[in-house]
Formats: sequence, C-alpha cells, structure tokens
Amino acid sequence: MKTYKEIAKKHTPAEIAGSLVFPSAMSAKERESALAEFSQFRKQAADKLTQKEKTISLLLQLKFLIEDYVASDSFDGSRHFGHFLKEYISRLDKKNKEFAAEINVDPTELSQVINQHRKPTDKLIYRLDIHSNKNFPAILWFRILEKERVYELTHNPEIIDKEKKHVKMKLKFSLQR
Amino acid sequence: MLLKNLVTKESIEAVIELMTDRDFEAIQNEQDRFDKFDWSLHTGEEVYKLRPKNDDKILGLMRLTDHTDPTINAIEIALLEVSCENIGSSKTFENIAGCLIGFACRESFKRGHDGFVFLLPKTELIHHYHDRYGFTHLPIKTVDRPEGLMILNAISRKLVAKYLE
Repeated sequence: MKTYKEIAKKHTPAEIAGSLVFPSAMSAKERESALAEFSQFRKQAADKLTQKEKTISLLLQLKFLIEDYVASDSFDGSRHFGHFLKEYISRLDKKNKEFAAEINVDPTELSQVINQHRKPTDKLIYRLDIHSNKNFPAILWFRILEKERVYELTHNPEIIDKEKKHVKMKLKFSLQR
Repeated sequence: MLLKNLVTKESIEAVIELMTDRDFEAIQNEQDRFDKFDWSLHTGEEVYKLRPKNDDKILGLMRLTDHTDPTINAIEIALLEVSCENIGSSKTFENIAGCLIGFACRESFKRGHDGFVFLLPKTELIHHYHDRYGFTHLPIKTVDRPEGLMILNAISRKLVAKYLE
C-alpha cells in the first residue's frame, strides 16, 4: 500500500483530497482525545439546533428510511402506509386531529388509514404531497402502497381467483411456453 | 446519483452498495486499480462500493464507522479510495468521492445522527477538504498534532442534494 508521500509524487493535494481519505495515523490516546473534542463540539452544536433544524433532521431520516424501504426487496408488515403516515405526523409534533384539519380530511378517516382499517384515497396522498411541500411526493407514498399490494397479491392468489366467475372468456395460451 | 464521464460527456447512473465477500476478492485481484490502501483488512466491516448501475466495475470504496455512542452520535468516514483511473487530470469519471461523501451524509441522517459526519485528515489535506466539500476543521487542543477533525454538519443536507439527487 502507498504512503501519502508516494501518492503526492503523482497527484496534487487537491486531487488527493478529491479522491482519498487516509486511515488515521493517530495513536489510541490521540484518537480518544480527538473524539472527546468532537463530543464537546457535537453537544454544543446539538444545543444550538433550532426547532426547525430538528424537524428537518427528523423528516430527512423518515424520508430516507421510506426511500430505502421501497427500493429494497424485503417486505415488513409493520412498515405500512399507516405507519409512515403516523411517523410523518408525529415528527411534525402534531396531533392527528390537528393534522386532519390541515389537510381537510375527516379525523376518523385519517385514524382508519393509520390503523390499516381502510386504504388511503388518492386525494389523501395528493394532499400529503402538497402538505409536505413536495418533500414527500405523492409518488413516494404510492410506492409504499404498491409494495404492500405486490406482497398481498404474491401471497394471496385467491384475491384474483375469486374474480374467475366474472370472466366470461380468457386467452387460451400462455406467453411463457 | 449521476457520474459525469469527462471523456464522452455523458452522465451515467451509479449505485452505492455494501461490499460482499466476492467484491473484496475482486478488489484483491485489481490492486492496480485500488493500490493506495489494503481493503482486505476490512472484510466484514461496513465498507461500501460505488459502481455504475449497469456495470459491476467498482469505481470507489468507502469504509464507515457508525458512532452510536450518544456523546459522539455521528458517522466517521474511516477510509475512502477512488479507483486509479478516476484520480487526477486524466480521470474518466467525476464526483465519485463526492457521491460517497454525500452517501455518508445521507446515512448520518438516516441513522438519526442529524447529518453529522467527520473524518481524521492528513494535515496537508485540511483546507482541501474544506474547499472541496465544506468540511469544518476542528483542531485538537495540542500544538503537536494540528490535524484534528474535519466535520460536516450544516452542509450535509446540501451535499446529499448535490451528489445524490
């Protein structure tokens, strides 16, 4: 492996900073000292955070958790639309009734969606997009629903099968053979 | 996230993923491309690779340390290396390191660290990390070791937007 001096023979410091972070050469004691300094800085910075900055941080965390979840192959029944909606409202430090009023939705409807007793309407999702100032766009919310739907259909084929009686004619071939 | 090909002027989509054991083996066989650090020492640790979305070729590596201790509560960029052909004036792709650092910022928010990211710099690189990425320098209170730490916090959100969105 190469030392900084060896690398610096071929590249400028700017090029090196633009492409490398070296392993720390600090001793254990020096590292402990560095982390102690950071810890002080971290505390001071945290104490100075405004409520707005704290909210932004919480919402960014939620947004990234949602994005990574919808992009993943795994399904987690506890991470449903209602769960994420509840998290959104909670991170804004609002009560359900207050939030329902802000998006002009019946509080009962909101509660039923959060608790998975009913599916969200398109209207509700569009209003979440607008309420969040497009920070949580409608497409993101629809992707959560789509993930739930795909899981449901994959694991409950009878949902489709029970519609058989309504289909008078179907194709006689399969595209897979 | 997009990488700009400086030769063809095209932008390509890239992804950042955790390294697998196979990836570590592949890197060992490509020591002409990743010749600065011994990544085999970090098998099984939290090491990420950046690659084009439609290609397995690894363009950059980054090792993160997640400091969950509430007094630290931050992500540390412990090691980072862009492949040889993408360093310097004749590089092919731009922004590989920026995308990796942006990813570290994103992970910091995602893990509840409020976007705090730090690294322990070489003295010679302190103001370059500041100029290029906006790192703030926090010197340790000893004259003998001026390196200190480089910290991102307020600028983390901008780096995520700049490099990942």
